[in-house]
Amino acid sequence: MTINRRSPVLRAACIAFLAFIVLILTGEVAFGAPQEAPGDGDYRTMPFVGSRVFMWVVAELHLMFAAFVLAVPMFALVIEYIGYKTGDKRFDELAYDFTKLLSVSFSFTATLGALLTFGLIILYPALTDYLVKIFSWTFLPYVLLFFFEAIFLYSYYYGWGKFSPRVHLFLGLMLNIVGTAIMFIANAWLTFMNTPNGIDELGNLTSVWDAINNYIWMPINIHRLIANVAFGGAIGAAYGAYKFLGAKTDQERAHYDWMGYIGNFIAICALLPLPFAGYWLGVEIYAYDQSLGITLMGGTFSWLFIIQAVLIGNLFLAANYYLWLSMGRIAGAERYRRFIKYLLALITICFIVWATPHSLVATVEEARAMGGSHHPILNVLGVMSAKNTAVNLLILTTYVSFLLYRRANKEATVSWAKMGNLIQFSIFAVVVIFVVFLGVYGYFVDAQTRIGLSQPQVMSVLFAMVAVTVIDIFLFKNARKRGEIAWGKIPGRAQYALFFLAITFTWLMGLMGYVRAGMRQHWHVYGVIRDTSVDAYTPTLGFAGLVVSVTVIIFFLFLAIVFFLSGLSGKKNWAPKSPPPPEATTTEPLPDAEPATEPEKEPEVAGLPNPLASLLRFIRKKS
Amino acid sequence: MKHALQIFGFTILVSAFYWYVSLWVPQKRTDPPEDIVISASLTTDEMIPIGEEIVAGKGTCLTCHTMGESGTGLRFPDLGNIGAIASERVAGQSDVDYLAESMYDPNAYVVEGFVAGMPNVSRPPVALTDQEILTVIAYLQSLGGTPTVTMDTPLQWQGQAPAPTAATAPDAPPDGATVFTTYACNTCHSLDGAAGAGPTLQGIGSRQTREEVTASIREPDAILVEGFAPGVMAATLNAFGFYDNVTDAEFEALLDYLMEQ
Amino acid sequence: MNIFVLLAIIAALVAIQVVGTRFVKLNRLAWMAIWWIALYLALSFGIDPPLPTTIIALFMAIVTLALLAYLSADSEELETAKNTIVSFMTERKYMVPLLIAVVAIPLLVAFKVYSDMTQPPQPPASGRTIHPPPPASINFEGNTINLATANNPYRDLEESDPEAFAQHNANGRRIYFENCFYCHGDNMEGSGMFAHGYDPLPANFNDPTTISQLQESYLFWRIAKGAPGLPGESTPWASAMPAWENFLTEEEIWDVIIFLYEFTGYEPRAQGMPH
Repeated sequence: MTINRRSPVLRAACIAFLAFIVLILTGEVAFGAPQEAPGDGDYRTMPFVGSRVFMWVVAELHLMFAAFVLAVPMFALVIEYIGYKTGDKRFDELAYDFTKLLSVSFSFTATLGALLTFGLIILYPALTDYLVKIFSWTFLPYVLLFFFEAIFLYSYYYGWGKFSPRVHLFLGLMLNIVGTAIMFIANAWLTFMNTPNGIDELGNLTSVWDAINNYIWMPINIHRLIANVAFGGAIGAAYGAYKFLGAKTDQERAHYDWMGYIGNFIAICALLPLPFAGYWLGVEIYAYDQSLGITLMGGTFSWLFIIQAVLIGNLFLAANYYLWLSMGRIAGAERYRRFIKYLLALITICFIVWATPHSLVATVEEARAMGGSHHPILNVLGVMSAKNTAVNLLILTTYVSFLLYRRANKEATVSWAKMGNLIQFSIFAVVVIFVVFLGVYGYFVDAQTRIGLSQPQVMSVLFAMVAVTVIDIFLFKNARKRGEIAWGKIPGRAQYALFFLAITFTWLMGLMGYVRAGMRQHWHVYGVIRDTSVDAYTPTLGFAGLVVSVTVIIFFLFLAIVFFLSGLSGKKNWAPKSPPPPEATTTEPLPDAEPATEPEKEPEVAGLPNPLASLLRFIRKKS
Repeated sequence: MKHALQIFGFTILVSAFYWYVSLWVPQKRTDPPEDIVISASLTTDEMIPIGEEIVAGKGTCLTCHTMGESGTGLRFPDLGNIGAIASERVAGQSDVDYLAESMYDPNAYVVEGFVAGMPNVSRPPVALTDQEILTVIAYLQSLGGTPTVTMDTPLQWQGQAPAPTAATAPDAPPDGATVFTTYACNTCHSLDGAAGAGPTLQGIGSRQTREEVTASIREPDAILVEGFAPGVMAATLNAFGFYDNVTDAEFEALLDYLMEQ
Repeated sequence: MNIFVLLAIIAALVAIQVVGTRFVKLNRLAWMAIWWIALYLALSFGIDPPLPTTIIALFMAIVTLALLAYLSADSEELETAKNTIVSFMTERKYMVPLLIAVVAIPLLVAFKVYSDMTQPPQPPASGRTIHPPPPASINFEGNTINLATANNPYRDLEESDPEAFAQHNANGRRIYFENCFYCHGDNMEGSGMFAHGYDPLPANFNDPTTISQLQESYLFWRIAKGAPGLPGESTPWASAMPAWENFLTEEEIWDVIIFLYEFTGYEPRAQGMPH
């Protein structure tokens, strides 16, 4: 029986969770004891791990779940809308599949948020007191919005199919608006700690609005909004991969393969504009305080950006890899296989350029041979011009992979097919040459002009992507199909690539969260409230990496619980162990209850739609 | 179940890999800068170096004062020999009291030939604590004299809780004259034609347009009155946080005030 | 660049390509190994001066990842590669090469350990923060200098009074050759007569990533405060740069900065620009 087979998992999960609760409780009990150092009431200590690491992990976990809870409604709503407009039921089901993950995640977010608040109050009373003083009334709308978030979230989830589509879409829209507003308020608190504003020299409040609208509030809002979508897409894809690997029937495999594909598609689309949002954030940090900016980009943290380069290089590599493997499910994709090695070579070169540090780690002998701490050739790769060029080409390469995937089973029938291909190719060639030219040109001009060059680089890449897409749409109008997309026909390692993406996204989020908080160095509120605790030092990157790794592992453990609980809703009702009565009250026949030999419903397996294509089709039909 | 475990193993593997990457880069721990710890048990001799550090650092005293021959006595009196002459400045006032008064209530007595304008250093933006001021007195006494002050020396001004300055109070409409003194404009510029480190602003409203005055404040070095050094005004205004903190309303009030001159 | 080594590697690749397609069918696994070795050789020996080992390790890690991705991006090729390995380890005809591999791999590891142990003792490889963030302001002979806004007071003379500027430059030249050139060299390449004794080596001002990337106020800070003025995060630091504030006046330091830029032909970075 299902429940029996699963019960060890449930028990293990319960025990793990209980152990966690006990850990927290013992922690709380320990706080109760008067542990503070005499005369120092600003801090209490967390046993075993220390206050900072505890808050660090809890805050990061809270943030990860919050990001997921905010992101899923965004694309669930869009997918639902596409389903509503095109009348394709499968989109509706997909949106519901994503939404199923929400309710448990929402509770986890709230619980972790409460834990974070308790931690702040108990471990950092003085700092908390100050922040509460500054942001006094903003906590009220926050709580109110949280109520509304709960109402809209549960009505959106439980009301699936219960309301008219328009009402339901409206609920989804409200859920998104409320969620975004919650994030904006919370962002005000934390950005204030980085770039305090609206206070006088003594730290007394002069204007709450100025404190909220500090230098990096808006950049962080936008950056997080986009990053949340990327992160949510990646986790959604991981859920699809998890279900795919455990699927028993081809039909299930097809559905979850499709879900993973869509999640990955969302993640990569959201990843592409992130560097520009990050650039804006960086500029604002410099505008606030130059030494804060240099601490971030030029000091110890400069090595953190090498780690970041490794992570992002891996993201691009894995995303392309997944697309290449995906081509295996399309008849006719063999034609494009030979391009893979060139795309891979380009990605590898860009990856190498991006990960090349400016100051090298070298032994004395090596430094002597190089004539200093800079290598005469490698040096060229370590600066901004090279890295901007590399990231633009990485984006373009990923786009080409996607383009090849898109046209894998199509053959253009329009009369100008040859011409169209030629034009597309010329656009690519011109843009690549232009981007590389600007990159090289950057070495021969002064810094001010060099910074200005990144804009035409980005614009030309965007232009290439838009122009080629437009041509492609017309080129493959009424295209002859070589075969259908056989969803579900994909090797398991492609699903592991999706996991790899999800883990890498999560790790990246943890790392960037660390640098955002870490650049304050020995300040709680930069320049206003000094950190005088034992944890005031900035730890080594290796230590930070360990904390991030542990956080990621805990997050995935939690996620396993979320996935498991979300799967319960579709499970069969429990029944005694005797042979199940035929009138078992399941709403739909469940795959793992059916014998595997049952004939499957083949027709729905093939040809699951691409959301973008469906939307385009719909728009074309309209116009 | 098997694949769930496999996935979890994979998660650990990938996380461990990234941890390895973070160990591969140089490992540096950055400790916070050491605080000047002022404990009540300091001896007078120990107070001197701390006071010296505050004079050069947090106190920003050297923006205006000089210490002996190492600079040019431009704005405020040179302090190179202050320890020897402090007790003779004001009749009936001990050197400790005189130095303390000069910091808590600087304009009570102004050395002849100088313009009043030093801010109360126990208030923001400098905001020295009572203990810090004691160490500064010890240092100043040591310049040409023998320090007598201890950490326990009572001063009548001690215990004044620092309050936010009027200029940053949110409700009161800014007053140009207050802004003029808050950011220490009066330190260098007189309004009555007297000489100072900067040109006098007597009658500035009739000599220059509002735009010209705005430009001169925004970019002091763009047009210089002959005989005055570049960079001084920008540096001073920066030291008083003018460019960072002045609000539009304050700036307008300041302009109104200047145009009335 | 070591052109001959690179050419030899390319020639070898072409030769293998010809042989591999005409006579023996090389599978993807073999090609991967060939590419890996070729790239490793090119990085290790094809570039002059040689790259630091840490960089080679980083690049080869990326190359390894990419090659593994390539191998597994095609299910058929992956299957072939798997079968190749399995048959190598199980089939009788590969007995001898398998035995050789089984013996050779531990031997290679042992050789690596041996060669590492017989190296003369060396200080550990260290990454330095070359351009640590400067403090907001420094104290120079009693004056506070705000590093974010300070400019070379004589820079404007370049336009307004070239003669006076030339004088400052000449003064800077005199100061440089009286004080700096012992370490930084008569060509500013960081190869003065004392340079060989130092670790890290004195800065090479001809390097386009040193003074041309920095503001003049930054140079002023580094010259005035020297190694003792470096922040904690720049450690481990054994820089021998003296704090020149004890020997030079403010004007002399600005003059020598003018000379550094005039001599190398670089322009200082303008104020107020993001990194």
